[in-house]
Amino acid sequence: MHKNNNPILLKNIRVIDACQNLDQKMNITVNNGIISYFENSKKNIPFNEKDFKSVNCKDKILSPGIFDLRVYLNETNNENVSILKNAAVKSGVFKMGILPFQKPLLDNPIMIEHLIEKTNFNNDKFFYPYGGATKELKGNEIAELGLMAEVGAIGFTDAPNCIQDSLVMRRVMSYAKMLEKPILQNPEDKSLAGLTASNSTTIQGEMNEGEVSTRLGLVGIPSCAEVMIVERDLRLAELTGVHYHVSNVSTKETVEVIKRAKLNGIKITCDTSPPYFSLNELELSTYDTSFKLSPPLRNEEDRIAIQNAIFDNTIDVITSDHKPMSNDTKILPFTSASTGASGIETLLPLTLNLLNKSDVSIMNILKKITLNPSKLLKVEIPKIKSNEKANFIIFDPNEQYLINKDSLHTSPTPFHGRPVQGKNYMSMMNGEIVFDNLDLL
Amino acid sequence: MNKIHKINKKPPPIATLNSKNLLSIEGMNKLEINSLLDRADYFADLDPLKIIKTLNGYVILNVFFENSTRTRVSFELAGRRLGAEVINISVEKSSIKKGESLLDTANTLSAMKPNLLIVRHPESGAPKLFSDYLNCSIVNAGDGRHEHPTQALLDALTIRRRLGRIEGLKIAICGDILNSRVARSNIHLLTTLGVEVRCIAPPTLMPKSLENLGVNCFNSLKDGINNVNAIMLLRLQNERMSGTESPSKREYYRFYGLDEEKLSMAHHDAVIMHPGPMNRGVEIASSLADNEDRSLIKTQVEIGVAIRMATIEAVYNAQK
Repeated sequence: MHKNNNPILLKNIRVIDACQNLDQKMNITVNNGIISYFENSKKNIPFNEKDFKSVNCKDKILSPGIFDLRVYLNETNNENVSILKNAAVKSGVFKMGILPFQKPLLDNPIMIEHLIEKTNFNNDKFFYPYGGATKELKGNEIAELGLMAEVGAIGFTDAPNCIQDSLVMRRVMSYAKMLEKPILQNPEDKSLAGLTASNSTTIQGEMNEGEVSTRLGLVGIPSCAEVMIVERDLRLAELTGVHYHVSNVSTKETVEVIKRAKLNGIKITCDTSPPYFSLNELELSTYDTSFKLSPPLRNEEDRIAIQNAIFDNTIDVITSDHKPMSNDTKILPFTSASTGASGIETLLPLTLNLLNKSDVSIMNILKKITLNPSKLLKVEIPKIKSNEKANFIIFDPNEQYLINKDSLHTSPTPFHGRPVQGKNYMSMMNGEIVFDNLDLL
Repeated sequence: MNKIHKINKKPPPIATLNSKNLLSIEGMNKLEINSLLDRADYFADLDPLKIIKTLNGYVILNVFFENSTRTRVSFELAGRRLGAEVINISVEKSSIKKGESLLDTANTLSAMKPNLLIVRHPESGAPKLFSDYLNCSIVNAGDGRHEHPTQALLDALTIRRRLGRIEGLKIAICGDILNSRVARSNIHLLTTLGVEVRCIAPPTLMPKSLENLGVNCFNSLKDGINNVNAIMLLRLQNERMSGTESPSKREYYRFYGLDEEKLSMAHHDAVIMHPGPMNRGVEIASSLADNEDRSLIKTQVEIGVAIRMATIEAVYNAQK
């Protein structure tokens, strides 16, 4: 972290802050980490510009840091934590919901407390852990939801596992309702998503079921395995009154069911991640394991439905679903290779890419990675206004480049070599410049 | 004895492949396939003692990650008849589990500088992974549920020698298509050569969107084999017949097991094929399996060596 004591003047910058419903060209000064001047750029600057390090930001956008709803840490060792933090600040991500699936599992209050203590620094809260909904995320017995909520669990989930048992799901939901926390589900009917090889063994599905899986000879997962669980859960959500959140919506049918449930007033939210609105199952044609994801990449019709659901606000949040994997676990035949991919570093550009696909407003898109996750988890995002500590990112929404796996901190990426638009230039967190590509330091 | 139809009078040239690997039939064109069939047809009639050993010093590793007798022996014999050195390596799944990754194993083998790796692996796409990282040629000897290219080639040549042509025939593939690599390779090969392909399976063993591969799908064997010239039966594993994909052996045999009565629906001189090993009384009535007028099962094995000779030679040629 760099201390920055030179006062900075950011001129003609477009401020888009969904939390204040603000979209305006402004002039901003930051002095000793505090926003000291925050006014419309049409106003004359009432001080001498020469006293500041001044940058003309006319092509740039200033926004609150990204809130990434779902991130896997995999292992809570120092190395992983610092790699993730570096990758996050560079990519404009300031807050992350940490999923309980890691070593050791976050399915008890001690681990939740440990994670919060170990990973937060400078009074910055970076990591917000979810508690496991069931013990060992196995879907059989309720975990200590109350105790975990007491020490700071922001919600509950068994991700990437899906709670299969209806009674367990009902119990978890009624507990979560009492604790006023959301329950997140990665919907997939496990028995339908595999292939029974004999009476005792089941082969897990490897990709979306359809022509491509038939050609490749890989075990298919039918897309209805997703919506079936959502439909069941909605009944239970109605019964219990819990805030139910669907993670990683990937099919057209799920979108339709969620849209209907929202109209019916059920307390439901949902998210998706960039692979599901950017890619389809054809990517797997060469057995490239960086596309082995859960849920699997679906067909083009599904991809378009997901994209449209983002535009019409059926999908509330875009998350990275960051699940880094070592390359060793990916250089294997498809069946043996690990499932998951990194995502935190490509979240902003891939999300901004959506702007080229519709006349959706940039404010509406940014909401899905800032305001909406903060509302969903009831975690406040620091305000951008004068006399507050500077907490924002500055990015260029138009810069075009190719994603290069070698310049990312985490692997693997399914987006290597893809053209994107939008790049983070500066991250200022709690008054400190933690990433600077604007030559301010 | 049935007459053998010969397409070529003169010895055909070495088959031409567009790649130094043979990973799948999907993606191969008619010319490539026919050049392999022509060359193998020539090999099939040669006295093994009179074959010129053009591949002296050529090193072939038979790397089998899955049990196999007939395919391994067939490749071994094919290589030896051409004068190549063939070394069999059976890589037990357990030694992989000990920690060495597939690619480490492959790299170790590759360091011994073989010219060709013949790979069988229980996972779809594994030979493709080898080809992405190794310099030598790779021939797929069966990968998971994906493909078994030389089996489809030998099936095609067996039919051509018996019926005199391939184009325009009606051929049925019947059985566990969902889990069969032989079915996939045959579908691609036969549709490329202009065959009307009919796939017959109970709904639980029929893969999704199979008709997009250019075939007609049937759940009824009787409808499916109506007037076909050849019936390719697939092996159904015992563990799939106890209530999972099929209710019982006897029910499967009743609806999908080929017997004289069902065969009478097919063309009057239709032939029967099976990649082996077969389950008598499940996929096929024992009497039919042994009926040499109808069953080409033994011929398939014989032609297998010739097909693999043509393949090895073509791959060797493509490396040059």
